[in-house]
Amino acid sequence: MTIRPFRLTLLGLSLLIPLALAAVVLFLLSFSWQAIGYSGFSFITHEFFNMGGIDGDPVTVRGVSVPAGADYGILVFILGTILTSGIAILIAVPLSVGAAIFLAESIPDKFRPVLSMLVELVAVVPSVVFGLWGVAVLVPFIGNILGPAISHTLGFISVLGGGDSGGGYGLLAASVVLALMITPIIATTLLDALLQVPKENRESAFALGATHFEVVTKAMMPMVRTTLIGGIVLALGRALGETMAVLMVSGGGSNAMPSSIFSPVATIASFIVSQLDSAESDPTNMAVRALAEMALVLFIITLVTNAGAKVLSSGVLNNVRNRKH
Amino acid sequence: MPWVRQCFTIRGPLVQFTKNIRRSVLLRSGAAALALAAISAGTAKAATVTLVESGSSLLYPLFNLWVPDFTAANPGIQVTTTSTGSGAGIAQATKGLIQVGASDAYMSDALVAKNPTMMSIPLAISAQAVNYNLPGLNDKHIKLSGPILAGIFSGKITEWNDPAIKAANPGVALPAHTIIPIHRLDGSGDTFIFTQYLSASTPSWKASPGFGTTVSWAAVPGEIGAKGNAGMLAAAAANPYSVTYIGVSYAAKVEAAGLGQAMLKNADGKYVLPTPETIAAAANSVVTDTPTDERISFIFADGPDSYPIANYEYAVVNSKQPDGATAGAIQTLLNWAITTGNSPTYLDKVHFLPLPTAIQILSKTQIAKVQ
Repeated sequence: MTIRPFRLTLLGLSLLIPLALAAVVLFLLSFSWQAIGYSGFSFITHEFFNMGGIDGDPVTVRGVSVPAGADYGILVFILGTILTSGIAILIAVPLSVGAAIFLAESIPDKFRPVLSMLVELVAVVPSVVFGLWGVAVLVPFIGNILGPAISHTLGFISVLGGGDSGGGYGLLAASVVLALMITPIIATTLLDALLQVPKENRESAFALGATHFEVVTKAMMPMVRTTLIGGIVLALGRALGETMAVLMVSGGGSNAMPSSIFSPVATIASFIVSQLDSAESDPTNMAVRALAEMALVLFIITLVTNAGAKVLSSGVLNNVRNRKH
Repeated sequence: MPWVRQCFTIRGPLVQFTKNIRRSVLLRSGAAALALAAISAGTAKAATVTLVESGSSLLYPLFNLWVPDFTAANPGIQVTTTSTGSGAGIAQATKGLIQVGASDAYMSDALVAKNPTMMSIPLAISAQAVNYNLPGLNDKHIKLSGPILAGIFSGKITEWNDPAIKAANPGVALPAHTIIPIHRLDGSGDTFIFTQYLSASTPSWKASPGFGTTVSWAAVPGEIGAKGNAGMLAAAAANPYSVTYIGVSYAAKVEAAGLGQAMLKNADGKYVLPTPETIAAAANSVVTDTPTDERISFIFADGPDSYPIANYEYAVVNSKQPDGATAGAIQTLLNWAITTGNSPTYLDKVHFLPLPTAIQILSKTQIAKVQ
């Protein structure tokens, strides 16, 4: 048998990443096992989260030692995570599709590198900078201007505030900050794909008498649909896991389901980071285990959305293929 | 999905990082021992011990004032300070990752029972103000009590002209406007002492949600959760009709933002402002009761002049250190902190107060136990 050092090295390196991922999942599972046993299924169906009296003497409940009154339910945070990311995607997709089409079609070639670089630059702005901007500019804007305007005109719709727009911190602020963070991710992915659409396709469409609008929507967009979905998945990944910017502007609602776009919310990631310090002074360690279980739930949510997007994009792919035949 | 892994392994690198620090500390203290031997052999070579202080974000500015002067006076000792939060300070000091944990709260009975060699040593006295943003009333020092604040933060008192607030403030034109309570989102010693005041003064609050560095806040319409003292200040300044609690080390910024400072009802039923006199009165009221391990609260302390939300700021230290050089350096640092470090030069900048003499003696006795 010949030993192939190069191939073996590559194999080892390529296995490293999935192994590290598996190790993280295994660690989270084993570390949070006690919390999973303590909370059971109510962990994800129950809307109250209480670390209990971590400074008092622990009590024994169902055979495990926990702080008195400890009760871990994270439904509010699951909903907060999905809502902030979902609304962020709703805002970001039209923005980024528009930006990508503009950059691909409506500016001279020599300006494109500069402008697309500017868009890419937004993608590397650290999230805490977005958070600070959110606190200093966006939150007062929503609290003083946008919020009252929406709730006065459309307040009869309860999810638009029902007449009460709060102080600016909340679901809308978090979603807008997230939307700004992910717009460049979708836009740059889409731009690259649009620039790779074969010239022949564009030119044949023009030759058939299509307007510029028709060329973009009928000849080009269908060819980049898969890439668009891929970009959205990437963006969703960042939005679901974003911690600091959300923590700074979300208002951190707990123990109550968000009732409008102005309600304070907390996401799983932001809640974990805000509570970890207190959890560390829990003598039974159960609070840290519960936070680890939350991390596991976040992991599952991202896995499910990614898998869903894969199925969706392959389905779209087949559609395009079928249409060609 | 690199961000997923990042999200889950964030504590991995942290732990590794602190381990590295500890290793370097061990290495250096090892080197220190060698160097000490070298000194006794007649070579005059300076030995350096590195101490890592981490924890309370309230103590962090004070440590930053202390460290340059301390290291100038003690060239053999290097001190690294970081702000991670009181819970992390206690946890890391207990695990031996750092030498000095800084905490706004003393270690609980359960934690001490689990780690009997860990000591809580007071370094200075801090207090907390209850601030509000009431247009037209911010220079008036309105009066609030524990039960009123408990009512506001649990959603039972929702309007500024509620009968309970009116009764405490006769003759003050309180607006008919919804109160916006602002609380800390992140775990915090400020939340700890604020909720201790509410628990001590209001039985229903003591039953639930009780006190802690984080508590399960009731959902109050219009409430805001903010991050850090800076976030609390920004949220209060941006939201008229809000009320919040902010550490006194932020007093200058709070004043610059034009927020009001409430007079709080103490255990004797008097309304007092957080001044050096009222905070000292609270501290002095428990001097004779302070046990040798110095774990005592003077929240809602007795006495007509006592300000109800004041506390010791603690260093959390293990009495069993791996080597004599580290133990000696910790003793030097803490003894310096409660003597020279307690002078107004440092404390005035963060609005802290020095330890009463009797407490200073108790702290010295505890510091001497670090071996």
